[in-house]
Amino acid sequence: MTAQRHAEIFALVQNNIYEVLPDVEGREIKPGDRLTDLGANSVDRAEIVMLAMEALSLHIQRVELSGVKNVGELVDALYAKSHGQ
Amino acid sequence: MLSVGIEAMNVFGGSAFLDVMQLISHRRLDSARFENLLMRQKAVALPCEDPVTFGVNAAKPIVDALPEAEKDRIELLITCTESGIDFGKSLSTYVHHYLGLSRNCRLLEIKNACYSGTAGFQMAVNFVLSQASPGAKALVVTTDISRFTVVEGGDALTEDWSFAEPSSGAGATAMLISDTPHIFQVDVGANGYYGHEVMDTCRPTAESEAGDADLSLMSYLDCCEQTFLEYQRRVADVDYRDSFQYLAFHTPFGGMVKGAHRTMMRKTTKSRREDIEADFERRVSPGLRYCQRTGNIMGGTVFLSLAGTIDNARFDTAQRIGVFSYGSGCCSEFYSGVATPDGQRRLRAMEISRHLDDRHSLSIEEYERLLTGKGAVAFGTRNWKLDESHVPGQVQASGPKGRLILERIHEFHREYRWN
Repeated sequence: MTAQRHAEIFALVQNNIYEVLPDVEGREIKPGDRLTDLGANSVDRAEIVMLAMEALSLHIQRVELSGVKNVGELVDALYAKSHGQ
Repeated sequence: MLSVGIEAMNVFGGSAFLDVMQLISHRRLDSARFENLLMRQKAVALPCEDPVTFGVNAAKPIVDALPEAEKDRIELLITCTESGIDFGKSLSTYVHHYLGLSRNCRLLEIKNACYSGTAGFQMAVNFVLSQASPGAKALVVTTDISRFTVVEGGDALTEDWSFAEPSSGAGATAMLISDTPHIFQVDVGANGYYGHEVMDTCRPTAESEAGDADLSLMSYLDCCEQTFLEYQRRVADVDYRDSFQYLAFHTPFGGMVKGAHRTMMRKTTKSRREDIEADFERRVSPGLRYCQRTGNIMGGTVFLSLAGTIDNARFDTAQRIGVFSYGSGCCSEFYSGVATPDGQRRLRAMEISRHLDDRHSLSIEEYERLLTGKGAVAFGTRNWKLDESHVPGQVQASGPKGRLILERIHEFHREYRWN
């Protein structure tokens, strides 16, 4: 269940990346990928994070999710926050 | 009820600027990533310019236009800055001297990163509202010069701090606050403020800045939302789309404002993407006009956006403008006011656009020479004399007259002259 939920959040983030960065659509996103390397500037990165927060109905301060280094860490952080950790 | 707000306003965007795309290509930065950030030009301070000259040059036309009796009613002068030149002595003392203001005037300096301008503005508004000295005016001067060199060492600074150089500018705004608010009448009590401790950007040493671009943007967006929610709690029947004909944002760079506006529209109005884009063009883009000519001028950026809105948007009738101010560290505020066709006419008489056009366009070589700091004044300089060979030749030859420049420092005391 936990692994499945984690995978769902990963898929959600991947879709958000495709939406904000149409150039990488269809490309496989790996946990170690950095949003910057995928072509995201700081505004794009904030938007990707925000779309995920909205989809997960996460009502937290965005600043709590800063400091993540790659997609995998972002998913971990979203998972932790959406499970009240 | 007493009306209050901006009676007169002016902007000083420096004597020289650099084309940002030229800088990006020179630094071999990925130009595709910069295209959506809506940066155009950045104002660059010359060795003969400092926060005092910027502030005075912004305020001088306002003060000169006042009859002597009214000039003497300026009883509060606040300089708003994160570019202070002394830990104790306030910039306002120099500004006061070179503007020739009355000595029966409070002089002080306010710091809170890019929120400083709003902090000074609100304090001035409340000074007028208090009626402790009926008829008195306040002069608020925001003035900042960037120091974008990244502090070396440490790993928390993201590589996107490279945004700092292209986006940071220099500039000053001056506002006369009184009970005759020709330019912008404040909606009294309509303020949503929000602040908390966060280490997003800072100036930890005398000559440089540091920051985390992602954290700063996240904090800006959080505050954009929280200040509006607080505003909404205090003001009846407020709607993000319909209550404000225009929006003026603190503008570190245009792309950030565009992202913030998109977020706010999606959250508060559930608008579709195309509608949001059209709304941005209509309500927000007039405010970006001048900000794109200077880069981030920090304490005054939000007022540069306000001036851009009043100068460039349509004012066939009175229009309400929503204003969002953010300063790292952080403190933020959403407030509003009304501008009229008469206010637009008065502000246009300042010819802000023409002054920006008249600046010297720096070549990369000239810019790099300025960057090496040759001839520039470092914080804590005890004695110094302007070497005019360090000022680009064209600026000297064709520079506008009647502007204040820094000429000498003698035992820490700065000495200026009118060019």
